[in-house]
Amino acid sequence: MYNPKNIIDVLADNIRKTRNPFGAGNSTMNKWWKKTPLRTEGDAMLYTGLMYQLMPYINKTTHQIERFEDTAIANYVGYQKYVPKLLVKSAFAFMPVRKDKKRYNNILKNIVKLLDKSHVDFFYKPKLDFYSGILLYDLGDNEGFIEHAKFVAGKLKEMGIKKLITVDPHTTYALKVLYPKYTGISFDVKTYFELINFEAQDEGRQITLHDPCFYGRYLELSDVPRKIFDRFGIENIDVRNSGKFTSCCGGPAESISPALTKEILTKRYAHLQETGKPLVAMCPVCLGNLIKIGADVEDLSEFLGHYA
Amino acid sequence: MTQVYPEFAEELERFGIDTTMDCFNCGTCAAICPLIYEHFPRKMIRYAQIGAKDRILENYEDLWRCLHCGLCIQTCPREADPGDLILGLRRFVVDNWRRS
Ligand code: SF4
Ligand code: SF4
Repeated sequence: MYNPKNIIDVLADNIRKTRNPFGAGNSTMNKWWKKTPLRTEGDAMLYTGLMYQLMPYINKTTHQIERFEDTAIANYVGYQKYVPKLLVKSAFAFMPVRKDKKRYNNILKNIVKLLDKSHVDFFYKPKLDFYSGILLYDLGDNEGFIEHAKFVAGKLKEMGIKKLITVDPHTTYALKVLYPKYTGISFDVKTYFELINFEAQDEGRQITLHDPCFYGRYLELSDVPRKIFDRFGIENIDVRNSGKFTSCCGGPAESISPALTKEILTKRYAHLQETGKPLVAMCPVCLGNLIKIGADVEDLSEFLGHYA
Repeated sequence: MTQVYPEFAEELERFGIDTTMDCFNCGTCAAICPLIYEHFPRKMIRYAQIGAKDRILENYEDLWRCLHCGLCIQTCPREADPGDLILGLRRFVVDNWRRS
């Protein structure tokens, strides 16, 4: 386990300076939209919060952090601070595998496809698409989180943005629940899958949905994808711990202890495997972890994208 | 010897926590927590209730094991929001680091 203080210091410093946990400009990693025809005006702004784009970098950095966790080097006084700093700072040097980047970028393109098919009036402005700061909140750095949230909410307000379409549970929770509470600025926030309203039929198809904690419990949105599956004739075979009582994939511990993440993930994966069906995830962190453990898993947007 | 600060629950309100004294130590949270680790989070909440600040600061690493998964919040019979209490204790510890 890494000393949380060192991790918080590195992340808070990076976010303060660059508005990004990895300390690099947002434009370095936010490139998925470049060859996608997208409007810049419309009713609601597609807001990715950069989580899917960050995943290839998180995967690479975590892999390195995992190698050092609880080793003599990481525990050596001074290195405890130096190791995470060096690894996080050099995330861009561990060139993410191109295949990895392509998959996460395609997820966002799939979301555009699903919104188009549902005739949603939306637009995208990459320069206004900021990381939400949720990691600072989760790690207990409220001061850092509030400073960042005020910056982001202020920018969106300044540009007259009122409606946001989100793509992951962590950003959704930040914008929907935490921003109004800590910045006093509220937006009308909806996830992309709440807006899906086209029809399809795939009678007899079976899958198992892994609910992320934030959609299952904090935002209570678990029934939304299930209703889409029902409409499409797809059977979702639930594991015992699902919906409001879903089990965590272990992702939140990743920056402090990849070993703990692995322990929790292994247990969750064993439960999910009990149904014997292909898995569907709805969160970049859960998806990344399930891919890492070797699961047959698609993101909800990849899965529904087959029908759009 | 552990010093106790009965007013600690009030101090925690500054960190967004107002449910410290609602917990009646039933242990449901510790039973459902995926960490299965030394009566976590119940033990930490008990430390908070009696204001055993030293214990909290000595064992701070345990606070960051919490996944903020919310299972304990969902199941606590007293609606004491144990997971959020842990998050509040993290804020208290971070504040302590920054002041010292
Ligand atoms: S926080 Fe709730 S579940 Fe946990 S010991 Fe206290 S009353 Fe019981
Ligand atoms: S929120 Fe934290 S303390 Fe509560 S059940 Fe989840 S991991 Fe355990």
